[in-house]
Amino acid sequence: MSGERFVIPIGPQHPALKEPSHFEIFVDGEQVTGATLRLGYVHRGIEKGAEQRTWTQNLYLMERICGICSHVHALAFAQGVEALAGVQAPPRARAIRQVIAELERLHSHLLWLGVAAHEAGFDALFMYSWRDREVVMDLLELVSGNRVNYSANLLGGVKFDITAEQKVRILDGLNFIEERVHYYLGVVNTDETFLGRTRGVGLLSREEAERLGAVGPTARASGVTRDVRVDAPYAAYSEFPVKMVVSQQGDLQARFVVRLDECFESIRVIREILNNMPESELVVRMPRRIPAGEVVSRVEAPRGELFYFIVSGGGDKPERVKVRTPSLANWGTVLATAPGHKLADIPMLVAGIDPCFSCNDR
Amino acid sequence: MNQEGTQDALLKQALDVIRPWVKEEHNPQPNRLDVVIGREDLLAVVEALKNARWGYLSAITGLDRPSTPPPESVENQEGTIEVLYHFCEKDKVLTLRVSVPYNDASLPSICNILPSATLFERELSEMFGISIIGTPDPSRLLLPDSWPSGVYPLRKSFSGFSEVTEAQK
Amino acid sequence: MSEKKESRFLDKIRTWARVNSPWALHYNSGSCNGCDIEILATLTPRYDVERFGIKLQGSPRHADVLICTGPVTLQSRDRLLRIYEQMPEPKFVVVVGSCGISGGVFQGCYNVLGGIEKVIPVDMYIPGCPPKPEAIIFGIVQLLEALKTGRKPDSMASLPQPAFETAGGTQ
Repeated sequence: MSGERFVIPIGPQHPALKEPSHFEIFVDGEQVTGATLRLGYVHRGIEKGAEQRTWTQNLYLMERICGICSHVHALAFAQGVEALAGVQAPPRARAIRQVIAELERLHSHLLWLGVAAHEAGFDALFMYSWRDREVVMDLLELVSGNRVNYSANLLGGVKFDITAEQKVRILDGLNFIEERVHYYLGVVNTDETFLGRTRGVGLLSREEAERLGAVGPTARASGVTRDVRVDAPYAAYSEFPVKMVVSQQGDLQARFVVRLDECFESIRVIREILNNMPESELVVRMPRRIPAGEVVSRVEAPRGELFYFIVSGGGDKPERVKVRTPSLANWGTVLATAPGHKLADIPMLVAGIDPCFSCNDR
Repeated sequence: MNQEGTQDALLKQALDVIRPWVKEEHNPQPNRLDVVIGREDLLAVVEALKNARWGYLSAITGLDRPSTPPPESVENQEGTIEVLYHFCEKDKVLTLRVSVPYNDASLPSICNILPSATLFERELSEMFGISIIGTPDPSRLLLPDSWPSGVYPLRKSFSGFSEVTEAQK
Repeated sequence: MSEKKESRFLDKIRTWARVNSPWALHYNSGSCNGCDIEILATLTPRYDVERFGIKLQGSPRHADVLICTGPVTLQSRDRLLRIYEQMPEPKFVVVVGSCGISGGVFQGCYNVLGGIEKVIPVDMYIPGCPPKPEAIIFGIVQLLEALKTGRKPDSMASLPQPAFETAGGTQ
């Protein structure tokens, strides 16, 4: 039926998406002609809440902006507050922060792989990748005591050490994960039906990605060389750098390949840190009242650049905490690439940016 | 390694591009440059940065600066809202700072130049009560449809949840 | 539970005594996702909650059990009510996570009501931030046992306490 426009709302409680959201997709027959976005189902008012809590309480609040990338939120916050106080976390603490951040990246990418596969109808891949992901969850629980919301960060350092026995278990677990990621890369690169759903789909040129402000693996899959770990090293990334993983292909398949290749880099750098752990104390003293000032704190979350802007008025509570999460920056790419695609491609296009609604809404 | 030299060069490069419009400049940290500009120059500055391909818009932050701190009278508050446009290039952050008074809280939209700003502008608008002239989608992003108009959560005068339920009655 | 609530709950269970495989619906009313990914993890091979006879699916009209997370944001409140109303009787509500119990760390935040019970009646709470999949399954199994035997679930206080080993030996 040409010439007719339907609005198909997807969400806020949709069987395919595990998080609530609301898109409106305008269609002409099967072709998508436009899309708009309405967020807010997970909007809790965290930025305002931060102004009413002390600096330490906020560490626990920021961690729970998102359960999948909780460590990087707390890390960005802690680093920003430490900068305001003129304090740097000790070397061992920074190394442990990086280990946890990379373990988190592993769990997040495997989680995403499963969810994206589920969107494409590959439930077997979802089950395999989440089963394998359990190994990473075990490692996170081993060092921190919790599978999710590990609370590794303190203002001034980290809460726990990584012992020699834990190091052995982590290295074993990483060997297993590395093997599995090789297998998934094989599937992504050779499985015919998978390729049919991803190759050439959702093409985003490098210029478009830059123009639309894309960050993270979404941007790097289109050839944009942006990675906060490389551009503006934090934690221990100066001592233990990672290589930027970039693809020029720009389609949905590239987004899979970039994330899987990033897993290899994460595994490599965790091994390097564990085998060369700096010796130092785990935390330095922080004042209760943080000196007045403003600071920008950026970290590379699994989904891309996480941007924190923190203002202190000199008191025991922040004046302002601004959080700009990576998936918020990447939405522009979906809204721009959706037109021209078929309706059935939309869930995969959305999954390609690895959207996190709890991060978006805050 | 002359890292310091080359990295200062990046910020200097940005400053050169936008110098005609700079009212004040500060270096709060070695990797940050804050520049105060007038609202009338916002579009020109953003266009200049885009043409020079310096950085990407990373975030737009609003800062509420009431003249009298709460909990004094919420009505007839005077004050300004400072809006910060953060551009990132490698590890450098250039922040454009624009202030608008409460009684004339509006800014031009930069979406014609940088389309990705639409979500940031929507959020800024609903949280601080600034109208963004010409923004392609002025609808709410995060707040519910039932949220009372005229109540801006990130303004200091907004005290919290009970205020909302009062307004809804 | 208050007496009235208890008898309502027991009535529901009695009419259900022979049900073996309830269908569950999962709803996120504004949580950080931590609980939701642990709920999802219960479906995956290591935990495989489906072997206990519970199946996760998508429509409220077919659901027997509603598994809820989140501190209930203002937007999700109406949707939550609507889902609850669309579910046929008898229906059960299980809340997973601290946010669903009291609002968790988000208590007092302006867009949050603070607990699922403020909107719909709740039959079971599984506390944690987030609760481990084992804890979620424990709670679900308790509910299933209650459905099968027609008795309400035992409160945690009545279960045998594990012995903890400390540096000085078991206590």
